[in-house]
Amino acid sequence: MRGSRRSVLTAGQAWIFVLIIGLWEVLTAAGWIDPFFFSRPSLIAVRFYKWVTSGTVYPHIYMTTVETLLAFAAGSLLGVLFGLLFARVPMLARLFDPYIKIANALPRIALAPIFTLWFGLGILSKVAFGVTLVFFIVFFNTYRGVREVDPTIFNNARMLGANERDLFRHVFLPSAMSWILASLHTSVGMALVGAVVGEYLGAAKVLGYLIAQAEGVFDTTGVFTGLAVLSCFVLIIDLIVTLVEKWLLKWKPEIS
Amino acid sequence: MAPDGAEYTAIREITFEIPRGEFVSIVGPTGCGKSTVLNLAAGLIFPDRGTITIFEKNLSGINCYAAYQFQQDGILPWKTAEDNVMLGLQIRRVPVAKARAQARNWLSKVGLSGFENRYPHQLSGGMRKRVALAQSLIVEPEILLMDEPFSALDQQTREFMEDDLLSICAEYKKTVLFVTHDLEEAIALSDRVLLFSAGAGSRLIGDYRVDIPRPREVADIRVNPSFTAIYGAIWESLRGEVMKAYARK
Repeated sequence: MRGSRRSVLTAGQAWIFVLIIGLWEVLTAAGWIDPFFFSRPSLIAVRFYKWVTSGTVYPHIYMTTVETLLAFAAGSLLGVLFGLLFARVPMLARLFDPYIKIANALPRIALAPIFTLWFGLGILSKVAFGVTLVFFIVFFNTYRGVREVDPTIFNNARMLGANERDLFRHVFLPSAMSWILASLHTSVGMALVGAVVGEYLGAAKVLGYLIAQAEGVFDTTGVFTGLAVLSCFVLIIDLIVTLVEKWLLKWKPEIS
Repeated sequence: MAPDGAEYTAIREITFEIPRGEFVSIVGPTGCGKSTVLNLAAGLIFPDRGTITIFEKNLSGINCYAAYQFQQDGILPWKTAEDNVMLGLQIRRVPVAKARAQARNWLSKVGLSGFENRYPHQLSGGMRKRVALAQSLIVEPEILLMDEPFSALDQQTREFMEDDLLSICAEYKKTVLFVTHDLEEAIALSDRVLLFSAGAGSRLIGDYRVDIPRPREVADIRVNPSFTAIYGAIWESLRGEVMKAYARK
């Protein structure tokens, strides 16, 4: 993209932000909507500033980051392994097909309390919950990536003497990688959702808890500030994902 | 098998033998099972009836003496030219430094020095073919199986590649089975040209010896009087088969 086009785009994005926040502020200031239910951007900004400068928010961010990364790593690893296994052994895929569909369609949120029961209030229950969300995204993408390997490339590697392990390393994984990375934005988001929802249900030092606690005392400003912190967190993670993606897919031609 | 799942017999009762070091081309109309023969010789597919014998042994898996040049790109798009060429050595557990040095050497042999770190999408069609050729040759195969490898290239690039192939074959004494729909190419490169009938159930209907002395130069060969004679003889039969293939469509 050309530099001038990009700066116009960024300006446009900034304007949308200003417009929504401005409207919110004006409407609450004029008394059209009740700040008790909707808070006010200026109050949120003050609270945000207070949290960041006093440092009270950092331990919460830290815990959420750890949970997100663990859930993401474990879910991706399991997803890649099973995706590969099922793609290479079609019998397994056929055998487990209905159960995978059921497990994927299950409303995961219903599992959260059970996970708290099983794994306790600590980090494990949140990670487990995040894994159930991340796993299926990565699993389906790996499966598809491996199944859609160009047969010519597959046969070429076989003619060069590749065994199953070589094929995995040189053909299947890199081929599936573009599929997995395409889903990375979604799966990282899901890992975060898993962490926050898990936290919501029971924890003492995490962002979800911070939001839940504020909600408990009808502190809407606290709720929105928590959400604002989460939004910043998501933007930063997404940026990192984009950078990783660019690096791993540098072999791909850029589509203009 | 045809796309609709019905049984389709591509080739039937074909027997031929290729002595070590000979360059043999297969020509025939579209859909005559030329590629099927290559896939059988490669060990990628197996015949319902009959056997493939490579150096006195029946073939029962991937043909480990052979390298395969595919019609489409078979090189890996996520690897640089150099990494592509060294793949065969990596698979054979050759130490990386040694494999890399050999890959560079082969890239320079096919005229791609300076392009080691390019990805396939950054190379032209001809360059990608050269990478594929180096990738095959680095594992020192005794047999080269080639499925219309130059058909997607423009005329000039094609002649360059054909000349390179001839000099490589002369230098390394490869046995080559070359499939093409281009009769000129077949004659220019080969010691023998096999003619297949129109499919389905294609048969071997001609086996022509090309007595044009080597070394050859593809551009000069077309004015050679024996070239014209052989071309005329094969085209006589090929034309009939091409007509039949069209009539069936």
